[in-house]
Amino acid sequence: MAALLEVENLSVRYGDLMALRSASLSVDEGEVVCIIGPNGAGKSTTLAAIAGGVRPVSGDIRLEGRSIVGRRPEHIARLRLSLVPEGRHIFGTLTVEENLQIGGYMLGDRAAARAGMERLLGHFPRLRERLRYPAARLSGGEQQMLAVARAVMTRPRLLLVDEPSLGLAPRIIDQIYEILLELRQREKLTLLINEQSSARILKFADRIYVLRGGAVQVEGRAADLRDGEAIHRAYFGFGTQDSAPAETAA
Amino acid sequence: MIGFLQHLIDALALGSIYALTALGIGLLFGILRLINFAHGDLITVGAYALIVPAADVTARLMIGSWTPAAVVVAISMIVVVAALLTDAAVFRPLRTASPPTLMIASFAVSYIIQNGILMFYGARPKAVDFWSGANVQITIGALRVPLLQLITLAVTLVLMAALTVFLRRTPQGVQMRAAAEDFRMAQYLGVRGNVVIGLAFAISGVLAAAVSMLYITQSGSLTFQMGVPLALFAFVAVVIGGMGSLAGAVAGGFLLGFIVTMLQAYLPPDLRAFRDAFAFAFVILVLLVRPSGLLPSRTTVERV
Amino acid sequence: MHVFVARHQTPVLLIVLLGAAVAISEVGGLDALQVTLVEMLIRVLVVVGLYVFIGNSGVISFGQVGFMCIGAYAAGWATAEPSFKQVMLQGLPELLQENQFSFPLAMAGAILLPAIVALLFGFAILRLNGIAASIATFAFLIIVNSIYSNWDSVTAGVSSLIGIPTPVGPWVALAFAAGGILVAHLFQMSRYGLLLRATREDGVAAKASGVHSVRMRLLAFVLSAALVGAGGGLYAQFLGILTVDTFYLSLSFITIAMLVVGGMGSLTGAVAGVIAVTVIVQLLRFGERGFPVGSALFKLPVGSGELGLGLLLALILIFRPNGLSGGKELALIRGPREMMPEGGAVAGARALQDDSNAVA
Repeated sequence: MAALLEVENLSVRYGDLMALRSASLSVDEGEVVCIIGPNGAGKSTTLAAIAGGVRPVSGDIRLEGRSIVGRRPEHIARLRLSLVPEGRHIFGTLTVEENLQIGGYMLGDRAAARAGMERLLGHFPRLRERLRYPAARLSGGEQQMLAVARAVMTRPRLLLVDEPSLGLAPRIIDQIYEILLELRQREKLTLLINEQSSARILKFADRIYVLRGGAVQVEGRAADLRDGEAIHRAYFGFGTQDSAPAETAA
Repeated sequence: MIGFLQHLIDALALGSIYALTALGIGLLFGILRLINFAHGDLITVGAYALIVPAADVTARLMIGSWTPAAVVVAISMIVVVAALLTDAAVFRPLRTASPPTLMIASFAVSYIIQNGILMFYGARPKAVDFWSGANVQITIGALRVPLLQLITLAVTLVLMAALTVFLRRTPQGVQMRAAAEDFRMAQYLGVRGNVVIGLAFAISGVLAAAVSMLYITQSGSLTFQMGVPLALFAFVAVVIGGMGSLAGAVAGGFLLGFIVTMLQAYLPPDLRAFRDAFAFAFVILVLLVRPSGLLPSRTTVERV
Repeated sequence: MHVFVARHQTPVLLIVLLGAAVAISEVGGLDALQVTLVEMLIRVLVVVGLYVFIGNSGVISFGQVGFMCIGAYAAGWATAEPSFKQVMLQGLPELLQENQFSFPLAMAGAILLPAIVALLFGFAILRLNGIAASIATFAFLIIVNSIYSNWDSVTAGVSSLIGIPTPVGPWVALAFAAGGILVAHLFQMSRYGLLLRATREDGVAAKASGVHSVRMRLLAFVLSAALVGAGGGLYAQFLGILTVDTFYLSLSFITIAMLVVGGMGSLTGAVAGVIAVTVIVQLLRFGERGFPVGSALFKLPVGSGELGLGLLLALILIFRPNGLSGGKELALIRGPREMMPEGGAVAGARALQDDSNAVA
C-alpha cells in the first residue's frame, strides 16, 4: 500500500538560493514523523511546498498516490491536508471563534462544523473562555493552540505542524504536544512536525528526518536514533567524537 | 454659527463621496495590497453608462432615463462587470507581484479605460441632466440643505452598514476579512482565493457605481477623466485612515471632506488655491509621523 | 584595456545607437520625424534619470516628473522674453524678470533647482520603505502640480508661459541624452551605486554592514532629479511654451511605462524602453491618421496610440516583468564576469516580485 504522503526529490529555489535540494520523505497513515534541522535547513519550505504555498522547481509530492504538485493551497486543504505554519499566522483582528469558523467553512456543512468546534473546544478550555476575544489579544501559547485547533477544524487526515515550540515556555510546549497527541488519537490524525531540537520530539515521534542545507542527511526510526550521535553528526555536519568540523557545504 | 453648520453639512456630503470611494480602494488594498487607481475610472464608466454612446456634446440619457430602481440595478451591474474584467485581464495574472508593480498596473488599467471612453464618447465634456430634481434645497430651521446632500449621506451610511454586516455576519465576509489579513493563511484553511478576490472586486464595483450616480447628479457634467480626482482624494483618505483598515478608510474620507471644506472656507483667499497641495502635504506628514494612519488596524502596520 | 572596454561599452553603444538615429534623420532629410526624434531624446534623458533612482534603489517613484516640471519652469524663468515676464510673472525676482539668460545658464538652473528640492524632499521621505515611499513621491507630484498650477504670479498658472527661445534641436538633445547615459553609467559602476544596489538586495544585511542606505538613496534621488530636471529644461527650450499639466499624471505614467517596458533593472532597459514605446506609439498615431490598404483608407480610431501604450504596459507587466532587456546590458565584448556593468536582472525581479509570498 502506498504511503499517505510521499515527497520525492523535491527541489525549491528562491531567486538564487536553493532552499531544498532533491529532498525525499514519506509518511504512513497514523504515524508521527518529525523533521529536525537547524535554522534555514529547509524545514519550513518542505511543509509549505507540501501544502501548496511554495512551488517546487522539480520533484513530486503525492497524497495517497495522487500528485498534488502545482495545486493551489485551497485545493490541497480540501484533500484533508492541513498546515499549522511557523509563526502561527493567527487572524488577529478576527475573534477566536471566527478564526475557528474559517477552518470549518470548507466543509460546507454548518451543523457539522459547529459540532466539530464543540468537540475540539473540549481539548482547548482556554480557547473556549476567550471565544469572543480578538485573537491578537491571546498569549503566545494560546495563539499556538488556536492555530492548531483552527487547522484541525478542516477535519484533516494529515496535519503538518511547523515548529510548534517556537518562542514558547517549556511548560506550554509540553501542553501543546500533549494536545497534539490527544488529537492524534481522537481525530485519527497523521502528524508531520518540524522542530529545531530533537530532545522532546524523540519521545513522541515514530520516525525522524534530519534536514540540513536543503537536503535530507539522516532518516530513521526514532528508537534507533536516541543515543543522539547520528543526529548530531547530521545536524552539525560533524560528530561529537570528531576533532574538527568537516564543513562541506559552500 | 449657522455658517459653520452650513460648512459642516457640505463637509459631510463631500466626505460621503470620498468615504464611499475610499471604501472601494481600501477594500482591495486590504486584500490584494493593490492601490487601485482604476477605481476612479470605474466611477467614470458608471457615469458614461447612463448616456447614449456618441461623441455629441449634449448627452442624451439612455439607461439614465429609466426608473430609478432600474437605473441603480443596471449601472451597478455594468460597473461590477467592468471591475471583474479588470481583475480577470490584468490583476489576476499579477497575483504575486509587489505593491508598486500592482500600482503601475492599475495606472495602465486606468489609462486604458480613459482612452477607451475617449474613443467612443469623444474628449469634450458633456452636460447631462440626470435626476436633477434631487438638487432642490430644503430648509431645516435656518439651514438650507440640498436634498441631494442628505441622500448622499444616507446612501453612504446605508452602504457602510450593509458592508459591515456582510463582513461581520456572513461566512463570505469573515473569509474576506481573514484573506485581507493573511491571504496565504486563509488559502491554507481552504478559503478560495480567487472567489474572495472576485467578490471584493464586485463590491468595489457596487461602491463605484453608487458614487457615479451621486456624483453625476450633483455635478451634471461628464468628462473621460472625471474619476481621477475622486480616486486621488479617496486615496488620501485611505492613507490617512490607515491603509488596510476599512473603518479607517471611511473615517479618512469624512476627515478629508472636513479638511478640504474648512480649508476652502477659512483659508485666506491667497492660499485657497493651494488647498490640494495642503491635502497631499498632509498625506506625506501622516506617512512620516503616523505611518499606520490615524486609525490603524492592528495587524497591517508592518505590511505597508 | 580589454577590461576597460568591456566595463564601459554599454553607454558608448547606446549613445552610438541614438547618434545613428539622429544622423540618419538629418542626412535623409526626414524633417517630419524631427519633432518625434527630439522628444524621444529628451525622454531618454528623463527615463535614464528615473532609472538612476528606481533601478538602483528598487524604490518606485511616481514623482520624478515633478522635478521635470521644476526644471522646465526654471529654464523658462531664465530665458523667457523679459517683456512677457514683467507683465505675466510679476512674482519673480527682479533679476529674473528683467533679464534673459543664456542657454547654459538656463540649463544650470534646470539642473540645480530640482536637485535642491530633491535634497530637501528626499531627506524627509527616503527613510520610508517600499510602498510608503512610493506614495510619498506620488503625493509630491500632485503637490508640485497644485502649486505650479495656482501660483499665478510666478508660473502664469493654468495659462501658458510663452516666449522661450528654442535652441534645442536633435544634436543638442542628443548631447544631453548622451551625458545622462554616461552619468547614469558612472553612478551605477561607482562605489555608491554598488552600495545602493546592495541595500536594495538586502536592506537588513546592508544596514548591518554599516551602509547608510538612506544616504545612498538620497544621493541617487538627487542625481535622478538633476537629470530629469535637465530633461525638463530641454523640453521648455524645445517647445518654447510651457503649461503645468504637461508634467502630470499622464507624463508620469508614460515615462514609468517606458522604464517598465524596457526593464527597470538595466540602463539598456531604460533607453530601449523609450525607443520601443516611441516607435509603437508613433506607428499607432500614423494609423490614426489613416493609411491606404489597397484602394480603401484604413484608419485606426483616435486614441489608439494611448490605448496601445496602456495595453503594451499591461502585457509587459504580465508576461515579461523584467522588461524587454530582461535586466541585461547591451554588450558586444564579454569581459570578465564581475566586471560586467551588471544593472541587475535580479534587482528588477526583486522590485517586481513579492518576496513575502515565497515563504509561507
